[in-house]
Amino acid sequence: MRVAIAEDSVLLREGVAKLLTDAGIEVTARCGTADELLVRVADDPPDAVVVDIRLPPTHTDEGMQAALTIRQKYPDVGVLVLSQYVEVGLAMQLLADSAEGVGYLLKDRVSEVKEFIAALRRVADGGSALDPTIVSTMLKRHRSSDPLDSLTPREREVLELMATGASNAGIAESMVITQRAAEKYVSTIFTKLGIPATGSESRRVLAVLLFLRS
Amino acid sequence: MAAVLPLLPERHKAAPRPALLWALGVAAVASCVVTAGLASGNDELYQPALRVLLVWWITLPYIFAGIVAWRRRPDSFFGPLMILAGFVTQLSILQWTSQPLLNTVGQLFDLLVAAVWLHVFLAYPSGRLAGRAERVVVIIGYVAAVGLQAVILMLGGFNDLHLLTVVKREAAAEAIQNVQLLTLSALAVIGVGLLWWRWQLLPRWQRRRPAQILINCFSLSLVMLAALLIAGAFQLPGFEIIRLATFAVAGLAPLAFLAGLLDARLAQAGVGELFVQLRTDPAPDLRELLAQALRDPTLSLIYWLPQYGSWADQDGNPTTLPEPNSSRRVTLVKQNGEQIAALVYDATLVEEPELVEAVSAAAGIALENGRLEAELRARLQELHGSRGRVVEAQQNERRRLERNLHDGAQQRLVALALELGLLAEQADSDPATKTRLKHARTEVAQSLDELRDIARGLHPAVVSGHGLAVALESLVATAPLDVQLETDGLPRLSEPLEVAAYYVVSESLTNAAKHAAATHVRVEVGVSEDALIVEIVDDGVGGADSERGTGLRGLADRVEALDGNLRIWSAVGKGTRVRAELPCG
Repeated sequence: MRVAIAEDSVLLREGVAKLLTDAGIEVTARCGTADELLVRVADDPPDAVVVDIRLPPTHTDEGMQAALTIRQKYPDVGVLVLSQYVEVGLAMQLLADSAEGVGYLLKDRVSEVKEFIAALRRVADGGSALDPTIVSTMLKRHRSSDPLDSLTPREREVLELMATGASNAGIAESMVITQRAAEKYVSTIFTKLGIPATGSESRRVLAVLLFLRS
Repeated sequence: MAAVLPLLPERHKAAPRPALLWALGVAAVASCVVTAGLASGNDELYQPALRVLLVWWITLPYIFAGIVAWRRRPDSFFGPLMILAGFVTQLSILQWTSQPLLNTVGQLFDLLVAAVWLHVFLAYPSGRLAGRAERVVVIIGYVAAVGLQAVILMLGGFNDLHLLTVVKREAAAEAIQNVQLLTLSALAVIGVGLLWWRWQLLPRWQRRRPAQILINCFSLSLVMLAALLIAGAFQLPGFEIIRLATFAVAGLAPLAFLAGLLDARLAQAGVGELFVQLRTDPAPDLRELLAQALRDPTLSLIYWLPQYGSWADQDGNPTTLPEPNSSRRVTLVKQNGEQIAALVYDATLVEEPELVEAVSAAAGIALENGRLEAELRARLQELHGSRGRVVEAQQNERRRLERNLHDGAQQRLVALALELGLLAEQADSDPATKTRLKHARTEVAQSLDELRDIARGLHPAVVSGHGLAVALESLVATAPLDVQLETDGLPRLSEPLEVAAYYVVSESLTNAAKHAAATHVRVEVGVSEDALIVEIVDDGVGGADSERGTGLRGLADRVEALDGNLRIWSAVGKGTRVRAELPCG
C-alpha cells in the first residue's frame, strides 16, 4: 500500500511515517502544507492520504479543504483525516455524499498502532473509519420515544462498531463472537431502528449516522 | 434662567430714539395736512379729494410701518427705507403749488416714487440690495427717474411753471420722457422677475404665508406701476384710473409688511406653548420642539460637554461648533456663566432676534437636562467601546492560548503517545515492560482528553475553522437534549460574530439541560436583512434571569459588545426563549 502524509508538526509527521514504514506501507510523500499534498497527490496518486485537519498557513480548515478536494477529484484515493478534536458537523461534511474511502479519527488513535493501520487499510480499500467518540457522543443524546431505547446493550455495542466502519468480521473479532452472530445483530438493529438494510459497510455507516442525527 | 449670547451679528445697532420716531410720525401727519392744503389751492386737479386720500394712503402706511420696523429691527435698513419712501412720495405733491421753486422740486421728483418703490421691494427684508442685478436695476431706476427728469425739465418739458428750462425743445423732451417711462416700466417688470426668482430660491420652509402675501403685494404694485408708466408713455385713455388703482395697490404693501411683523409676534407667543410642552413632556425631543418654536426645521442643537472639552450632538457623538456664515448662525446658551449648548439655525432667523432669545431662554432648564443626557450618552458610548475592546482582547487571548495548546502540548503528547505505541509494538517480550507501557499510554490518553477539554473551553476552534453551521451541528449532536437545529442558508460571517452566536447557543443549551429541565429545544440561526438572528426556545421550567446567572450576563456582554442585543423571555412554567440579534451589515 502507498500512502501520502500531510502534517505540519515534524515530530508527528516523522512518527506516523515511521509507523507506516514499520507496517510495510510505502510513504510516497511527507508534506507540511495542504498545497504541497495536493501537488504530490496530483503527481503520483497514492492509495490513501493521511491529512491533519489544521494545516498552515491559517491553521483553520486547510486540511479539511484538501481532504474534500481529494475526495472529489481522486475518488480512488482514500482520505483519512486526523484531528485533535472530532466534530460531528465535520464528519457530516466529509461524509456528505458517501462514506466510501473516507476516515475521520482523533489524532491519538495513531498510538493504537494495529487499529490505526487497520483503519487506514479499510479507507484505502474504499471502506470507512469513523472515530468511536463520534458515535458515542451522538448516542448520549437523550430523546423522547427513542427507538434506540429498544436496543440491548450488546446491540448498542454492535451499532457503535458498525458506525465506525467496522466490517461484520471486524465486529465479530472485537466482540469475540462468530461472524454469523454479528450478522444477526446487524440485521436486528436495522429492523429495530427502521433503517433499510444496505449492502456495503460504508453505506451502513452513513445510514447509521443519518439516523443518529435526525 | 439661561442667558443668551448670539455669536453673530456682533455689531448691534442701538434702537432709534423714541423722540426721533415721534418726530417722524408728527412730520408725516403734518405733511399730509400740507398735501390737503395744496390740493385745495389747485383748481386743475382731477378729483382732488380722492387724490389727497390716495396720497395719504401711500405715504402714511409706509412711514408708520417704517417707524415700527425701525424700532423692532434696528439692525435692518428696511424701516428707514420705508420712511424715506413715504416722504419722497410727498415731495412730488409739491408740483400742485404754483410757487416756482417748490413746483420745480415737485416736478423734478415726480417719478422718484417709482424708483424708491423698486428699491424698497427689492431690498426686502434686510433693507440692503442683496444681489448685483438688484443694485443695477435700482441705480438705473434712480437715474431714469431723477436724471432723465432733470434733462426733460431743462429742455423745457411739461410746463412753464418750473425754473429748470434752459432751452425750449419740446419734441426732444417728449422723446426723452417716453424713453424714461418705458425704461421705468421695464425696470418694474424686471423687478417682478427678480422677486419671483428670489422666492424660488428660498427653501420651502421659509416660504411662509405672510412673506408670500408681501411678495405678492410687491409684485402687484410693480406690475401696476409698469402699466401706469406705459399708459403715460402712449397717452392711453384711462390713465387717471390706472393711477388711482396703482396707488391703491401700492398702499397695501406696508400693511402686508406690518402683518408679517405681527406674525413674528405670534411666533413669540408660541414660546409660551414651548414652556408648557417642556413642562408636560418628561423627555421631550428638545430639538424638535425648538425647531417648531423657531419655525426653522433645519435647526440643530449641540451641547458643550466640559468633561470631554468638546461639543457633542444629542446622542453624545463628538462634533464641532460650526463657524457662523452667511447661511447658518450660531447662538450660545449659557447658564451660570458657563456655556451649555448652542443653537445652530438658518441665517434668516437673524431677522427675529427676540424670537431666538425668547426660545433659548425658555428652553434653558431643558437644555441643561439635554446636556446631561448627551454627556451620559457620550459616557455610555465610551463604556460600550471599552467593553467591546475587553471582549475582543479576551477572545484574542483565548484563541492564542488554544492555538498554543494545540500546536504545543497537544502535538507533543500525541507524538509521545505514538512513540509509546511503537515501543509497545516492539517490546513484546517482557510482560512487565508491556504493563508499564500500557499504563503510560493510558496516562497520556487521559492527559490528552483533559487538554482537549481545556482547549475547547478556551476557544471553539471549529467555529473559526469551519463556520457556525458546522460548529452548531457538532454542538447539537453532543447536547444531552432533543435539539432541532435550523441553519439553512447560513453564510460564513466574521469570526467575532460567529463565536458570539456559538456561545449564545452553547450557553442556552447548557442552561436548558442543567437548570430548565427541558427535553426539547429548537435552535434557529439565520441572517435576516442586516442582522444575524439566533433564537433558542426550550420547553423547560422557565424563570431564567439574566441578572442572577453570570452565564446569561456574560452572554449579554458578548452580544452587546458587538452592538447586538440579547433578550430573554422566561416566564415560570412557560419555557425559555433566548433571542440574540447581531448586526452584520
